[in-house]
Amino acid sequence: MQRRGHGPRISAALGALLVALLALAAALGATANQSAAATAAADSTAITCGNRVSIGFAAPVTGPAGPLGQQMARWGRFAETRWNRTHRLDIRLVLGDTQLPDTAQAVRVAENLASNEQVLAVVGPAGSQEVQVSTAPFRRGGVANISGTATATTLTAGSRRGFFFRTVPNDAQQAARAVAYMRGAPLRARRVVVIDAQNSYSTGLADAVQRLLRRAGARVQRQSVNESTVTDFSSVVARIPNDTQVVYIPWQLAAKAQQFGEQLRASGRNATLFGGDGLYSPEDFKLPGSYVTAFPVALGHPTIRAYQRGPGRGSSDLFGLPSFVAVEIAARAVERACANGEATRAEVRGFINRTVIPRAQSLLGFRISFQQTVRPPLGPGDMRTPAQYIVYRISPNGQFVKVG
Amino acid sequence: MGLPLFSVFDTVRELGWTGAVELFRNGLALGSLYALIALGYTMVYGILKLLNFAHGDVYMVGAFIGFGVLNAFGGSPAPTIAILPLIVLMFVVAMLGAGVLGVVIERFAYRPLRGSPRLTLLITALGVSFFLQNSMLLLFGAQFRSYQSFQLGSDNPAAFEPGPLFEPVFTIAGVNFQRIQLVVLATSIALMVALTLLVAKTTLGKAIRATAFDHEAAAMMGIDVNRVIAATFFIGSVLAGAAGVMFGLMFSQINHFMGFYAGLKGFTAAVVGGIGSIPGAMLGGLLVGLVESYAQGYLGGQWSDIAVFAILIIVLLVRPTGLLGARAIQKV
Repeated sequence: MQRRGHGPRISAALGALLVALLALAAALGATANQSAAATAAADSTAITCGNRVSIGFAAPVTGPAGPLGQQMARWGRFAETRWNRTHRLDIRLVLGDTQLPDTAQAVRVAENLASNEQVLAVVGPAGSQEVQVSTAPFRRGGVANISGTATATTLTAGSRRGFFFRTVPNDAQQAARAVAYMRGAPLRARRVVVIDAQNSYSTGLADAVQRLLRRAGARVQRQSVNESTVTDFSSVVARIPNDTQVVYIPWQLAAKAQQFGEQLRASGRNATLFGGDGLYSPEDFKLPGSYVTAFPVALGHPTIRAYQRGPGRGSSDLFGLPSFVAVEIAARAVERACANGEATRAEVRGFINRTVIPRAQSLLGFRISFQQTVRPPLGPGDMRTPAQYIVYRISPNGQFVKVG
Repeated sequence: MGLPLFSVFDTVRELGWTGAVELFRNGLALGSLYALIALGYTMVYGILKLLNFAHGDVYMVGAFIGFGVLNAFGGSPAPTIAILPLIVLMFVVAMLGAGVLGVVIERFAYRPLRGSPRLTLLITALGVSFFLQNSMLLLFGAQFRSYQSFQLGSDNPAAFEPGPLFEPVFTIAGVNFQRIQLVVLATSIALMVALTLLVAKTTLGKAIRATAFDHEAAAMMGIDVNRVIAATFFIGSVLAGAAGVMFGLMFSQINHFMGFYAGLKGFTAAVVGGIGSIPGAMLGGLLVGLVESYAQGYLGGQWSDIAVFAILIIVLLVRPTGLLGARAIQKV
């Protein structure tokens, strides 16, 4: 009796499920169509350029990552000022505070910038996780974004082709360089502790380094700590075995890395600290004998010296420097798109994609243009020139000395 | 992110007794800071039934005042006066500065709203917190400032040799106890004892207890309630100022946001110990510090906050008034 009674109910349920699935598919299809239509509409909306055009600038200027966001914002404003001094078409940066690690805020900022018709391109956001969540709003708005800090390799795997660009090399490039140096002379590391900082930048880099080290036969212990919220690293240090040769910390808050290093030294452990480009901050991270990998920067460039004398107040804030380059790329593209007095976001995207900044003009010290196809470790939106990371050792007087 | 049980046992075995003592030392030092912050929360709650969320930011301002004094005398590594008087001066100025700030906050933000619903006061406290945080952001920027206490007074700062604060004083089970850790521990204990004596033995303490018990009855007995409440804010903020300087000396790096997480932990400590109870705040602070340290050491950094807040939830489920909230309550 019970079985007979269940039959029609199951059929009804299956029928309802089928209808629901069809409705969902239809809704998704409609959404996809709407999204494509929205992108197309945003693409073709031309704005009159006049004397001044807007570029979005998404950075975490407040919150736990404020010190990094402020560096980016200072370099961004510096780029804006310098551009406006030498060009007829002025740019205006529209700042959005993404409050990393609050990804919901990053989405809100992306939506605001994408819905602002005056914004022709966006610089930022900062974190790889922010880029991930901002992709949909930017795509819907047809607007290109150029990050000066997001390094996760997967961001340029192909799905953001033509929309996302970056002015920093990716994690795969950096990890390979770091591991090659750690395994070679003089470190010859066989026992390494890798400590990620629980954010997208750090975990991506830590994963890549850990994988390569294990493949090379090193013993690796993995730890994790939130560099933004943790104020005392002594218990993290307590977990580091005494025979550890290298502690790899791909962090972004150089002051926290300095504190970690001091606590490591105070504990009597002799392991060498090794950081990523997030720690390329000579003002804050100056533990003698430590190493960092960093992308090449034309340190003697007059623009960097002008920044030090101006908004940097003596500091070079190198973490924010690629954001200057990103603003420069966006401004060049907008200027070219505005050649006939009007510009669309599609035109700007196209010009960004075809950017060429000769080596002599590049603050990064090499020619800047973007990769068009997937060619590991590069993907569309990565800088085409193989930006070979440099290894620096911190000397006793706090100087970053190039060693590899 | 996983927590395989065997991996935890392996870590415990690998760290051994030395690791356990090292984690205990770290937890004790950190817990002392949390206890000092928790005392401020608990005192204000005891007298006004207000969760003063601006308290963590008073602690942050105290750390900045200490930093200012340090730099006024040449800064690390080679200050223009001897280290001991310099540190005493940093403590005195930061404690006074934080104390005055606490009184100002009470006078201008909380007193006008004293008769208002509690929610109004709570939201005001959050507003004051954001105001202080962003004021410091505007004044000093977002970058970290460093006490550089590791090298303070060092003979060879260029080679990164530790100064006297970070020299080991004695060793237990192979673990060095540095001077700064003992200074922090001793100062915290001294301040807690002084506070306990003040509340228990002095006329002001009696007035604080009476006001905490019943404002109107206290006023009818001739107690100046406004002055007593201001004094309570002063004392709580003085402790936060001291904690701020201790933090700077022990961990070096300070910035405008440091009060947020420290305040959260201090508040947790106050609730775990039993908010309104002075011994409870001390116990809660030490417990939170130790749990955080052991969780970080044995389970990993990603588990430390989970462990701390799990303790909070468990305590609230088992004893909703906190560990010492009902039995040994000492209202202030």
